[in-house]
Amino acid sequence: MTKYNQEDQSEERQLTEDESKILDQLGLFGDSRRRFMTKISAAGLSLFAAPFLTSEALGKSSKEELLTTTEAMLNEIKVRLRVNNSTKPLIIDSRTTLLDALRQRLQLTGTKKGCDHGQCGACTVIIDGKRKLSCLTLAASCKDKEITTIEGLATDDELHAMQAAFLKHDGFQCGYCTPGQICSSVALLQEARNGEASYVTEDFKNVRQNIELSEEEIRERMSGNICRCGAYNNIVQAIQEVQSGKEEKPKWEFATAEQMQKAKAKS
Amino acid sequence: MRPFVYTQPQNPQAAVSAAAANKQARYLGGGTNLIDLMKEDVERPTELIEVADLSFNDIKSNGAGGYTLGAMASNADTANHPDIRKNYPLLSMAMLSAATAQIRNMATNGGNLLQRTRCPYFFETSMPCNKREPGTGCGARKGMNAQHAIFGWNDQCVAVNPSDMCVALAAIGATVQVQQAGGKTRTIDFADFHRLPGDQPEKDNTLQPNELITAIELPKPIFADHYYYLKIRERSSYAFALISVAAGLQMEGGSIAKAGLAMGGVAHKPWKLTEAEAFLSGKKPTQENFEQAAELAMRPARTLPDNEYKIEMGKKAIIRALTQAYEKNA
Amino acid sequence: MDTSIGTGNPIDRVEGHLKVTGMAKYSSEFPVDKMLYAQAINSTIAKGEISSIDISEAKKQKGVVEIITYKNAEKLKTPDKKLPPLSTTSIQPVLQSPQVHYYGEYVGLVVAETFEQAQYAARLVKIKYKKETPKIDFKNHRADAYKPEEESDYSRGDVEAGLAEADQKLEATYNTPIEHHHPMELHAVIASWENGKVKAYASQQMINDAAVTISNTFQIPKEDVRVIAPFVGGGFGSKLHAKQHVILAIMAAKKTGRPVQLTVTRHQMFTNTNLRQHNEQKVSIGAAKDGSLTALAHEIVSHTSTYEEYQEPCGTVSKMLYKVPNNKVTHRLVPVNLQTPFAMRAPGEATGSFALESAMDEMAWKLKMDPIEFRIKNDTQTDPSNDKPFSSRLLVECLRIGADKFGWDKRKMEPAKNTNGNWLVGYGVSGASRAAPYQETSSKVILTLKDGTVLATIQMDATDIGTGSYTIIAQTASEYLDIPVGQVVVQLADSLFPVTPGSGGSWGAASYCNGARMACQNAIKELKQKLNVGDEKKMSVKELMTGNKLTTYEAQGTAKPSEAFKEHSVYSFGANFAEVWVDKDTGMFRIKRMLNVGACGKILNPKTAFGQIIGGLTMGAGMVIAEQTRVEPNFGNFITRSFADYHVPVNLDMANVEVVFLPEEDKIANEMGVKGIGELGITSVAASIANAIFNATGKRMRDLPITPEKLIMAGVEPGVA
Ligand SMILES: Cc1cc2nc3c(=O)[nH]c(=O)nc-3n(C[C@H](O)[C@H](O)[C@H](O)COP(=O)(O)OP(=O)(O)OC[C@H]3O[C@@H](n4cnc5c(N)ncnc54)[C@H](O)[C@@H]3O)c2cc1C
Ligand code: SF4
Ligand code: FES
Ligand code: FES
Repeated sequence: MTKYNQEDQSEERQLTEDESKILDQLGLFGDSRRRFMTKISAAGLSLFAAPFLTSEALGKSSKEELLTTTEAMLNEIKVRLRVNNSTKPLIIDSRTTLLDALRQRLQLTGTKKGCDHGQCGACTVIIDGKRKLSCLTLAASCKDKEITTIEGLATDDELHAMQAAFLKHDGFQCGYCTPGQICSSVALLQEARNGEASYVTEDFKNVRQNIELSEEEIRERMSGNICRCGAYNNIVQAIQEVQSGKEEKPKWEFATAEQMQKAKAKS
Repeated sequence: MRPFVYTQPQNPQAAVSAAAANKQARYLGGGTNLIDLMKEDVERPTELIEVADLSFNDIKSNGAGGYTLGAMASNADTANHPDIRKNYPLLSMAMLSAATAQIRNMATNGGNLLQRTRCPYFFETSMPCNKREPGTGCGARKGMNAQHAIFGWNDQCVAVNPSDMCVALAAIGATVQVQQAGGKTRTIDFADFHRLPGDQPEKDNTLQPNELITAIELPKPIFADHYYYLKIRERSSYAFALISVAAGLQMEGGSIAKAGLAMGGVAHKPWKLTEAEAFLSGKKPTQENFEQAAELAMRPARTLPDNEYKIEMGKKAIIRALTQAYEKNA
Repeated sequence: MDTSIGTGNPIDRVEGHLKVTGMAKYSSEFPVDKMLYAQAINSTIAKGEISSIDISEAKKQKGVVEIITYKNAEKLKTPDKKLPPLSTTSIQPVLQSPQVHYYGEYVGLVVAETFEQAQYAARLVKIKYKKETPKIDFKNHRADAYKPEEESDYSRGDVEAGLAEADQKLEATYNTPIEHHHPMELHAVIASWENGKVKAYASQQMINDAAVTISNTFQIPKEDVRVIAPFVGGGFGSKLHAKQHVILAIMAAKKTGRPVQLTVTRHQMFTNTNLRQHNEQKVSIGAAKDGSLTALAHEIVSHTSTYEEYQEPCGTVSKMLYKVPNNKVTHRLVPVNLQTPFAMRAPGEATGSFALESAMDEMAWKLKMDPIEFRIKNDTQTDPSNDKPFSSRLLVECLRIGADKFGWDKRKMEPAKNTNGNWLVGYGVSGASRAAPYQETSSKVILTLKDGTVLATIQMDATDIGTGSYTIIAQTASEYLDIPVGQVVVQLADSLFPVTPGSGGSWGAASYCNGARMACQNAIKELKQKLNVGDEKKMSVKELMTGNKLTTYEAQGTAKPSEAFKEHSVYSFGANFAEVWVDKDTGMFRIKRMLNVGACGKILNPKTAFGQIIGGLTMGAGMVIAEQTRVEPNFGNFITRSFADYHVPVNLDMANVEVVFLPEEDKIANEMGVKGIGELGITSVAASIANAIFNATGKRMRDLPITPEKLIMAGVEPGVA
């Protein structure tokens, strides 16, 4: 069935006021976030925004409420969470993990819950410069700490080099482990600069800074981030490229006509 | 998770006092074991006393030629400390084989010593387990016990201690410093810190209620040249050991002056191979001697229905770890 | 903006920005007002009946809004026969009776204001049971084995006779354990019930089928059910149909009058989101001295639940991969007290090919033939299972080109002869096939012209579960509309959009892209008709819009399999090569490198296609390395109950992987020549690794996974020097 309509409906396709409102509402605090989002390709933004164009999403409580609402809690704790350079006062249940505080209270859903038990790495965030698991960290313990999540890596309109490399090397499929992988990789580069060792490091006694990590080293050090889609090889290439600055070549190719000929002839 | 009160004491004394005031309170280190077990409803504290942020986080020489590892220092900082890497590479290697970078950044040295078994019956509250609920029986003894103990177990409990760090500490030797209520302190020899199940399988160690671990003291640098931590596991990383071996050799004029040897994944505590160590002392680092040491080490082993493989695996692991340790810097 | 035009280019994923910035929204992440949190409660016995439920303690906790058990659950549609086959549209009744069929079955639901409150209160619901003795291991209940209703046995020729005339015979039994899909995103749903209408943000692979399940289970019109899943964090089969948790959340939303979020825990991903069953597979092969197969029998015994039937068609590959005159496949099922198994990535192929391709390797060894030559010897261009010609079959090319590139000539024929320090080095190979189905698919295109630029929006209820749907659909529209990819917007996974078969069974890419193609082609055709210009006249979409004085235009299209498709056997083919290093002492091994060669039709985007293949290889490697769910023999629960017990591969488990795509033109498959790739990648990978382990050690490992424990205890195969 084909619908024929001469009226101009193109307004709908633009970044509408509604859409920008949604971006704000999704915990994209401040103008820089919005500027960044609007730079995302038309395709990206629309497919992302479509499901939000619903009354319930738009009728959502304001940001302020989000930060202070308490639902008849036990053992309430006041914390000021410093996330991605902005401080947010929260009243939480003492049991609230950093992961749930980010996802449910601050609407920073970029940090993922893959197991809730420290067994997958999806919830990796950077706390005071170190990669840690937000699912085993109490939000209450994060007082005065500097937390960086996936939402805080890009600046204004530019992706972090690691984000760009993941995109270029297809370091993901479903994307669910991706924020954790990227936060982990970013911290990993710092660990390499610090000269930290891993289990596969050849000689523990040889302490040096700014080590260039081999493929094996990267794999071991990234083994705390499970990717069930199996994008490991692409993740390794993305990290290698960021670390070395040298272009990583794709690992796929098409068989040539000559190869096809030869294979046929032999049979 | 059950509701609990969260307390952030300003200093260790305050922490110990808080713990003394509430029997159901627990210290919170990195939380990587405790929070996990609370989510599983295995641990049920009514109060968490934050200790990770207390000041015992230094790693420094202790004046007696050895080193002090602060209880609240992270596993990552400890394993990566240049002095630890240079003087106790066996410890660094074992610690770096554990868990993942993220977990090592969170886990504290004190917490690591107290991490609980990974026995799946222990984790599942709907199953019997003497360690979790004394008197309910040992589910693993009559159930699935491939990952369980071959040394020192009894019908009460066949669980193994999962720590890698502790296996290296057993090989190296160490003491544990603890603080009690009222400011008193106490020193526990590492060999006496963990215990066998006996008739109290719920007790993993000899720590008294509300004692706070403040430090681990290491002896003078040892096994700095010939060391190896071998970890056999189901996947190449991010898995607990089926069996692990910490091997350190001190060589003098082509002979072994001193051997440090301990095994993980085989007993309720990190298993020091005292007989094998003694046997190796003064011997040449030959394959035959390593084989004999392995035989000696495994002689007291008693297997469970599902873990017979651990005998063969254990022997091979010991020989291999000794060989690698010797060949390192040989 | 992506300025490339058309398919075939290795462009970055169009939704990639959202994923690397954390902006992509998965089911549990939608901001919904007044939302409640639900936590499901699991049974702690494997068989029996609930005798009492005490909710008093739970009910009085702060924040608890509702507790639902079988006593107060609303009546749902229940099956009208004993073992109904489980399909992607099956009803999913839950909390309908006090009966317990397996350990971990949902027996209740707590709904509270916060997640912490719901989790805690769920622990406080005290349930007592009247226990019965469960049947747990199907091997102890073989007498109960029955022939499933779904897919019957297959046979051609006379296997006994074929075996009798063989010069070499092999009979071997292979076991693949229970596995779990474990997509990284936990199954989750946010459901609301308003004015009799359901809206569910639910992590599902098939939007339409999920809506059907919901509508049939609640007995409400399908039009009143809206399912939305723009991003799905992996599925691998476990999100094919709407499961009980979706029903639970909707039930709770209806009861409380507020939207309810329910996220299944990782622990519940073992007990409540299906599994791949343990298959015991006996393979008998006969071959003549020259390597030609004379007989092949593949007999499978497995388990289903006591309330639904599912069988994994492990014999699929054995029926059609090689030319063998005498062939037999049987499937038998034993109902046991475990949840119903269901499709997991390449159901049938992934496990069946482990048995078949291991057996082929064993037979090659017996015949002292190179395993590649042995396979080539038995190649066929006609599907022996139905005598239809293959639309295109490049298995031999896959094997030969792969062998060259991999350096197969460096393989030592004699096992355990290639060492490197403490390592034993082995090479292994396997052949693979996966049907390339294609199903009726509809799509809509909305064209707009603004400031001289055409923007096309494609809408369909297809899903992107990591498979690259957004990207390849955008590329397809770009190709058929001849506009840059950056001017295409793809909107997926909303049941308001035209119906597609969803993501599963390797039909996604072919179906979605052909569906999108039809909509685009229709749009152009219709716009030309309006201008009275002939089909053959070349005009850009912009010219057509301007010519028609239109700023917006919508068209729909539906693609269907052709007659030619039905007259052929349509498959993707591949070969996998593995080099494995086995530690001589510890029983641990490392996969050093793999090469996968695939003939899978037109490659729409080599970058995302490569992702699909390495994903399959990784999961295939997982089958060998450690993946297995163990069942406690006394209680019937899964003793592997967390991600710390169930070991999926980590980064260090994988190694360098290279992929070669063969240029393949297969217009019989479908007009675009697209074939499935997501499941081909996992097929037979396990065998190639196990075969490499044999080559390295001389140990023939027939039971997956190949753990250090098993390798240490295994002896070398008789005849290995
Ligand atoms: C998925 C996963 C994989 C892992 N893999 C490994 C592995 O391969 N090898 C390995 O060795 N470990 C492994 N671990 C365990 C990890 O090393 C331990 O959880 C960690 O060392 C515990 O330290 P923590 O500071 O987090 O302890 P917490 O969880 O904070 O505390 C543990 C216990 O110690 C008590 N406690 C903490 N500090 C003190 C103190 N100063 N004095 C007295 N009591 C104290 C707490 O009350 C609690 O009872 C793994 C953990 C996870 C989650
Ligand atoms: S082995 Fe110990 S921890 Fe495991 S079930 Fe038995 S008593 Fe519990
Ligand atoms: S969610 Fe934290 S490690 Fe899995
Ligand atoms: S991208 Fe899906 S789990 Fe990693």
